[in-house]
Amino acid sequence: MSRSKSFHVLCMDVGLSMSNSAPGEDSPFELSKQVIQKFVQRQVFAEVKDELALVLFGTDSTNNPLAQDGRYQNITVHRNLMVPDFELLEEIENQVHPENQQADWLDALVVCMDLLQTGIKGKRYDQLNIYFLSDLGVEANSEELDVIVENLKQVDITLQFFLPFSAEEESVDEAGDAGRGGPGARGSGKGLSREQKIGLEMVKHIMLSLDEQDGLDQIYTFRNAIEGLCMFKSTERRPMAWPCQLTIGSALSIRIVGYKAVTEEKLKKTWLTVDALSHKRDHIKKETVYCLDDDNETEVQKDDLIQGFCYGSDIVPFSKVDQEQMKYKHDGKCFAVLGFTNQNLVPRHSFMGMQTIKIFAPGDDQHAGVALSALIRALDELKMVAIVRYAYDRRCNPQIGAAFPCIKLNYECLIYVQLPFMEDLRHFTYASLNCKKFSPSDTQLQAVDSLIDSMMLVDKDEDGNLKDLFKVHHIPNPAFQRLFQCLHHRAVNPGTALPPMEPWLVALLDRPDVIKERCGVPLDAVKKVFPLKVMEKKKPLKTSAEIFGKDSEQPHAKKAKGDSAEEDEGEEYNLADISEGSVTSVGSVNPARDFRILIKQKTLPFQGACEQLTHRIEQLLGNKNTQYYMKSITCIQAFRELSVKLGKADLYNSYLQLLKGSITNRGLEVFWDLLVQGSISLIGQDEVEGSSVSKNEAAQFLLADEKNEEPVATMADDADDVDDLLDNM
Amino acid sequence: MAEWNVYFQNEDDGEAQEEGEEPGGDYRVTGRDCLVLLVDASKEMFIKEEDGETTNFDMTMQVVRSVYTRKIISSPGDLVALVFYGTKQSQDPTKSFKHVYVYHNLSELGAKRVQQVDALQGEKGALLAAETMGSDETSLCDALWCCANLFRDCKLRLGHKRLLIFTCTDQPHGGDSVKDRQARTQASDLRESGVVIELMHLMKAGGFDVSLFFRDVISPPEDESELGLQQEPCEKLADLQRRVRAKEQKKRTMAKLNLCLGEGVNVAVGMYALAVNARKPGAIRLYRESNEPVRSKSRTFHTETGSLLLPSEIKKAQVYGNKQIVMEKDEVDAIKKFDDPGLFLIGFKAMEELKLHHHIRPAVFLYPAEGEVKGSSCLFSALLTKCVERNVFALCRCISRRNYPPRFVALVPQEEKLDEGKVQTTPPGFNVIYLPYADDLRNLDPPQTPYASPTQVDKMREIVHKLRFKYRSDAFENPVLQQYYRNLEALALDMMAPDDIEDLIMPKVDQIDLRLGPLVQEFKDLVYPADYNPDTKSAAKRRAAGAGGTAEKKPKVEVSEDELRAHIQKGTLGKMTVALLKEACKQFGIRTTGTKKQELMDALVDKLAT
Repeated sequence: MSRSKSFHVLCMDVGLSMSNSAPGEDSPFELSKQVIQKFVQRQVFAEVKDELALVLFGTDSTNNPLAQDGRYQNITVHRNLMVPDFELLEEIENQVHPENQQADWLDALVVCMDLLQTGIKGKRYDQLNIYFLSDLGVEANSEELDVIVENLKQVDITLQFFLPFSAEEESVDEAGDAGRGGPGARGSGKGLSREQKIGLEMVKHIMLSLDEQDGLDQIYTFRNAIEGLCMFKSTERRPMAWPCQLTIGSALSIRIVGYKAVTEEKLKKTWLTVDALSHKRDHIKKETVYCLDDDNETEVQKDDLIQGFCYGSDIVPFSKVDQEQMKYKHDGKCFAVLGFTNQNLVPRHSFMGMQTIKIFAPGDDQHAGVALSALIRALDELKMVAIVRYAYDRRCNPQIGAAFPCIKLNYECLIYVQLPFMEDLRHFTYASLNCKKFSPSDTQLQAVDSLIDSMMLVDKDEDGNLKDLFKVHHIPNPAFQRLFQCLHHRAVNPGTALPPMEPWLVALLDRPDVIKERCGVPLDAVKKVFPLKVMEKKKPLKTSAEIFGKDSEQPHAKKAKGDSAEEDEGEEYNLADISEGSVTSVGSVNPARDFRILIKQKTLPFQGACEQLTHRIEQLLGNKNTQYYMKSITCIQAFRELSVKLGKADLYNSYLQLLKGSITNRGLEVFWDLLVQGSISLIGQDEVEGSSVSKNEAAQFLLADEKNEEPVATMADDADDVDDLLDNM
Repeated sequence: MAEWNVYFQNEDDGEAQEEGEEPGGDYRVTGRDCLVLLVDASKEMFIKEEDGETTNFDMTMQVVRSVYTRKIISSPGDLVALVFYGTKQSQDPTKSFKHVYVYHNLSELGAKRVQQVDALQGEKGALLAAETMGSDETSLCDALWCCANLFRDCKLRLGHKRLLIFTCTDQPHGGDSVKDRQARTQASDLRESGVVIELMHLMKAGGFDVSLFFRDVISPPEDESELGLQQEPCEKLADLQRRVRAKEQKKRTMAKLNLCLGEGVNVAVGMYALAVNARKPGAIRLYRESNEPVRSKSRTFHTETGSLLLPSEIKKAQVYGNKQIVMEKDEVDAIKKFDDPGLFLIGFKAMEELKLHHHIRPAVFLYPAEGEVKGSSCLFSALLTKCVERNVFALCRCISRRNYPPRFVALVPQEEKLDEGKVQTTPPGFNVIYLPYADDLRNLDPPQTPYASPTQVDKMREIVHKLRFKYRSDAFENPVLQQYYRNLEALALDMMAPDDIEDLIMPKVDQIDLRLGPLVQEFKDLVYPADYNPDTKSAAKRRAAGAGGTAEKKPKVEVSEDELRAHIQKGTLGKMTVALLKEACKQFGIRTTGTKKQELMDALVDKLAT
């Protein structure tokens, strides 16, 4: 599997003019440094064996094999061809700085070519590349231009230019096709110096001589390059062919080749465990011992172990020989059709396994090609699939799967996916959602409909072409990107904390901006019409306490139990106000608590506090939303509780009566139901002596408007009934 | 089969497990799941239907056996009991109930128990059963009480508790209201203690009226739905099997997550695995001398000092570009963390945008978790309705667990479907399809081969048509697993030889051949040259190289038999080219020594004239 490798030379201008930049912008030097960093990073993590050299020009010193007699000055071969490593990345990080000289960029190009030619002697190679980064700020000596081009052609070197400006502006009419420079292109033709203009012409001349048609496509801006290089390329795998025969019965077989087309790619490397001090792997050893399950944990030698399998509570010893003998045996490699079925009987969610395989006919067998094509087209026309028995080879377990027809513009194939066995399936039933309780209203459905409208990711652009705003299969696996980013950071900046995620990656995983903008209003609408309430964890919905809050459980019972519990709560509020700062009025965030504190601290007279509280309640009720209703309920509970405690029932009772009177006018029936369910009634004489309301009246108060014949009268005393009612909610 | 992975986790999976695929069930094991099978053994159960050959009792025992074997395979940790009521003889640990027979106390299943259930099956079994059972006296109250004792007396920590009642009598006490009331009270006590009671009612003459008595005994349907009671009694074994299977296991979520539609709009959903690759369990290690299982302990120590290492003395490293890069263990976790677990809505796409081959792992299922966020079901339901109506799927970013990197998923809406018996066949909810990243797609260079002509496609259509069948996902058993368990069963039950398994995923070659008849040859004649043999690769290669260098020549298709005959009749064979004639000869298996046109024509005429 020895693949011939490629050789790359990065040639970067570090000369004086590279440091010039408009204020607030990265200088061409900074940008081109980023380009080479990303490029080298990518090579390092991809673990390809390609060799790479780095040549700097415009350096103060000179160090290159061609430097003689004052020629090829200020050009430094920083690193000769070799497989890139972290050392190189560190050097780029720490040793590549802007310098103060200028060098002839054509000379630098010649140095690069020379490096490649000497470097590849006696080696097999795939591709030779020179990546040239410069602002072309110095006029180059064009005398040897043609010789250079000739040479490039001869050795078959691919050349790519990276410039701080786009080559496109001035050549639109020449090349005709737009989009090469892209939107990120900086620096228009206008701002170019004379040298740069001449330089650009030379660059174009070179590129067009190398490739008349697409030569100019190999000129990039720094910005484009950084964007393109941002994604670490993970190791590419060569597809492995799986030759087999598709059989239909005993008489018909078609030669096929399968290739894994889609499968979750994992990184080849995993984490090693090393000693924290020495960072050495050999210093750590993991050892496993076996012991009997007795009190002494008697250790047993590995040789004294045999294998067994569980059959329920029984353990059946099973020797390796037994196992081998009893194993399911089959004939090996196989792709046999069991029959054909309608595509809609094989729904997408029934796919099993971790991959899809594309099945072709072998490229060298046209007859097989025709036969397979006939099958693919027949299946496609009939909207059917083949159900097949698939076995990769003798050692692997056979599978059942489906082969779907797939017809593309330039090829046809079958797509194979595994299907479940009976043993794999779990038959759960779920309650129907078509019941009254959960059925959304028309308004609610409408809100969801508009949300979907606003969030469609595939849209028509101005030209009527469909445009997908979010192609998942174009996104690189963020886990790999993040890992490489962190590894790179740790290697180059040891001892510092890991960096935050790169913004481009975060943006890539988020809703596209257009969608974010569009869905704002519909989302608010959804929020408004669908009340969502986070339930207390762990406990199932059982007691009123969970809906109405712990401190309000049952006013009656609480009082009977004595005040100790309430005292405790009082303590709690004291603590709370120390940490929360002093409370001077009933706020809107937690009005019930504020109210309690105010009463406790006696900062306000009782009546004043009550007025503030009722004011807040009215505000909350104005919102007509379950969440606010709940808040109001806790307020009323607090109001009631403290009124009882202080023996002042009148304010509370009159407010509640007032409230009841306004229920229908204000459309607060839902809220009223909550009050009823919480059995938050008037304060009767049994609770506060001075109350003008009798016990019976208090009990009847909530009942009056009830249409149901539920035994509400007893409700206030009987907690269980409350639960039942709540369950019916 | 949720327990599968938990129970048989391979010890040496180590690091691979960490990174590896999500196992099917991720839940805290809070105790053992219990299942009590309470079977009516009164006389009615032994009455043979006029047409049917099996009694309701026999049918029930078949189901019990399959429950046993299935439990052994899928969740061997579960506790199961088998109790009969309405029996002549009585037997229970407390010896206080009459007409109740505890056949198997609540404990783990084993080979022996399967054999004991077998003993009650078939003719012999019926005899035995009839002897000990089949009384007129029935007290469901006692039976339930007895079951309550079983749960109570079990020393193990119990998780989910379930009681399945198998009966064909809708009024077990013949209308005795006192006994009815006692039974109801007992049932409600049981339910209160957390036992879910389900009814597996069987067919009897005159129908089974659940509302007469049993409605007040069984647990209200799960999730307070309105589904449940309208079920018809089971007539067929398969129905009963299916119904029992649906009820014997508790639904478990892999995760409870928030589906976030946007800032502050969070719908609570449960994620369920409805299909998980069932694998052979790993072996356990036994001590050779005593056949008792051993435990493994592993420890990490320093090779030079020999001292045991604390987690803080260990770091993680990777080597790239000749450099070892070291990180703390928390940092390794932190790198994997992108966000808290949850689903985040990105947007919607039309269903056509979901590519068939973008498949990287089995789908999971989403259903609202009303208990976490009240109002979830309503919004979920609205979303589902609208997605179905508009034929779109929701694209979400999904982090299924803590410190898992995100994946993108398609939420594909699925409407509820019921069969004729009102049994749910597909539940309402979203199927979660995992989508591949760029790294997961492999670049292929598809080989260029010629396409088939309409005639060839038509012939294949005939073949496809002949072999059509209705695929059902639960129709195929895994032969590897089946064989394994048959063997194990044979060893455990001391059977002489394991039952043979039927390999359901083996093509039925004979039937296929029979059905296709001459079609195969006709198709081959259309696409393959006469001497083409797909088995010999080299020959094929030679053929391809010799015959099909150019695209025009590839298929001999142009010369069908009919065409040739027409040529011969009209005497226009000479109009064909030598190459075509040669191909035609090959096609009909004519060996020609000559290469002259006339010789070829003569040979063909000879062949086809006969």
